[in-house]
Amino acid sequence: MNAPTLLERLAGYLPLLAHGAATTLLVSLVAIAAGFVLGAALLGLSRSRARLAAGAAAAYVSFFRGTPLLVQLLMLFYLPSAMGLELPPLAAAMLAMTLNSAAFQCEILRAGLASIPAGQIEAAASFGIARRQVFRHIELPQIARAVWPAVVSEAIDVVKNSAIVSVIAVADLARVGRQLVASTYRPLEVFMAVGVVYLVMTAAIFALGSWLGARMGGGRAGARRIVEQAAGGQP
Amino acid sequence: MSLHQRLGAALCAAAAVLACLAAAPARADQLAEIRKKQEIVIGTEAQFAPFEFIQDGKIVGYGPDLMNLILADLPDVKLKQLDLPFQGILPGLAARRFDFVITSVTITKERAAKFAFTVPIADATTALVKRKGDESIKASADIAGKTVGSQAGSAQLKALQEYSARLKADGKAPATIREYVSFDEAYADLAAGRLDAVAQSLANLATLAKTRGDVYEVLNAPIGPKTYFGWVGRQGEDSAALVKFFSDGIAKAAASGKLAELQQKWFGFTMDVPTDHVPEPAI
Repeated sequence: MNAPTLLERLAGYLPLLAHGAATTLLVSLVAIAAGFVLGAALLGLSRSRARLAAGAAAAYVSFFRGTPLLVQLLMLFYLPSAMGLELPPLAAAMLAMTLNSAAFQCEILRAGLASIPAGQIEAAASFGIARRQVFRHIELPQIARAVWPAVVSEAIDVVKNSAIVSVIAVADLARVGRQLVASTYRPLEVFMAVGVVYLVMTAAIFALGSWLGARMGGGRAGARRIVEQAAGGQP
Repeated sequence: MSLHQRLGAALCAAAAVLACLAAAPARADQLAEIRKKQEIVIGTEAQFAPFEFIQDGKIVGYGPDLMNLILADLPDVKLKQLDLPFQGILPGLAARRFDFVITSVTITKERAAKFAFTVPIADATTALVKRKGDESIKASADIAGKTVGSQAGSAQLKALQEYSARLKADGKAPATIREYVSFDEAYADLAAGRLDAVAQSLANLATLAKTRGDVYEVLNAPIGPKTYFGWVGRQGEDSAALVKFFSDGIAKAAASGKLAELQQKWFGFTMDVPTDHVPEPAI
């Protein structure tokens, strides 16, 4: 039998790589989605009038943005078991990545909110539009458009940052690459293949993000409609 | 600091915090707990062919085969095996992330002071591997003045350091030693020409040379004292029964000839391993 060619070997790596990529995607998507919700809640908290709540949100953001993700992962892996709690590695990885991304997404949303001139909201109020409607039809669409590119970029960062979750026993794409190197002793081609799979995933996120971003124009027309209604019919 | 040093420092810090937290009161016997919970959690670094590595998505090798043989005596207990980098294996055991370590850990003085080893499963004596066709290295002593790598925190690194010190004492130039997160990176750097040799156990090197004989060539002579691979549990009364369970299992496999059979299957040769006691570590 001839030694397998490069293509045959790469085909042999595929099932394991696909499995690792699925784990990477699962951890990343949970972190991006849950991180967004938590980030929005944090932003709400940090803008509240209660000093304690605002202070806690600020402390949270500075902790999770100011310490390495690696340290956060290790803490979430080792601390619960030392305290007698059981947190499976995959859950610990998702939790650490979520808590970390929430801090970044909170700041992204804060910047988006700050980009809306106060004059717009005052003008809407003078048209007699309810505060809730102002948020729904005037602020939200603009914030969404403003923050979307940064959110997509954060999503891509999360996928790439997830490459260190293997330190807490999660067999993600990067770990699978190491496992393959350990049995094939062919690091160059294995890590090239791993890099390509990461690139495919991040490119897909970017493409999906751009496609969705281009469909966010609806907000402007909606805002015009609500202003027209408030002004009493035809302009 | 390099990445693996930072990783190591972070793990050490985490382990130190946990050592304090884990100084808890007496615990129930681990083996009894495992039987009751019907689950055992094992820590493994599946990056160490042919001892333990991944094939078709499963952890396989000499270690897992032996483990399954022994765990057959606990038929109702479900196995949960975690794969993580070696630097996290012993800290994870100390932090009670797993019940037991089934990965090839060289029995050393330092480790034996903190953890409880089983009787040996294999010979861990260190040797060198060079690039195939490198005429400048004909014997182990030819690494004098050259650059040699090994895995950070490994006993093979320690053997290499002692060997290099002996070279120096003999009036030769010591070797420049580089430490890697895993042996795979050291092998890669050897192939790329950034290293002249890698120090690793002879048992692992045999598989390396079998798989990539086109690139690597093993110098078939030990560079350090005789050492052994064992499995590891925690010290203390609550873990004693569990460690003994695995030790007895290894001894039973040795007596029945099954151990030699598994060695033949995974290494292509058998090793002389004392399975009636844990040998006094030489390093």
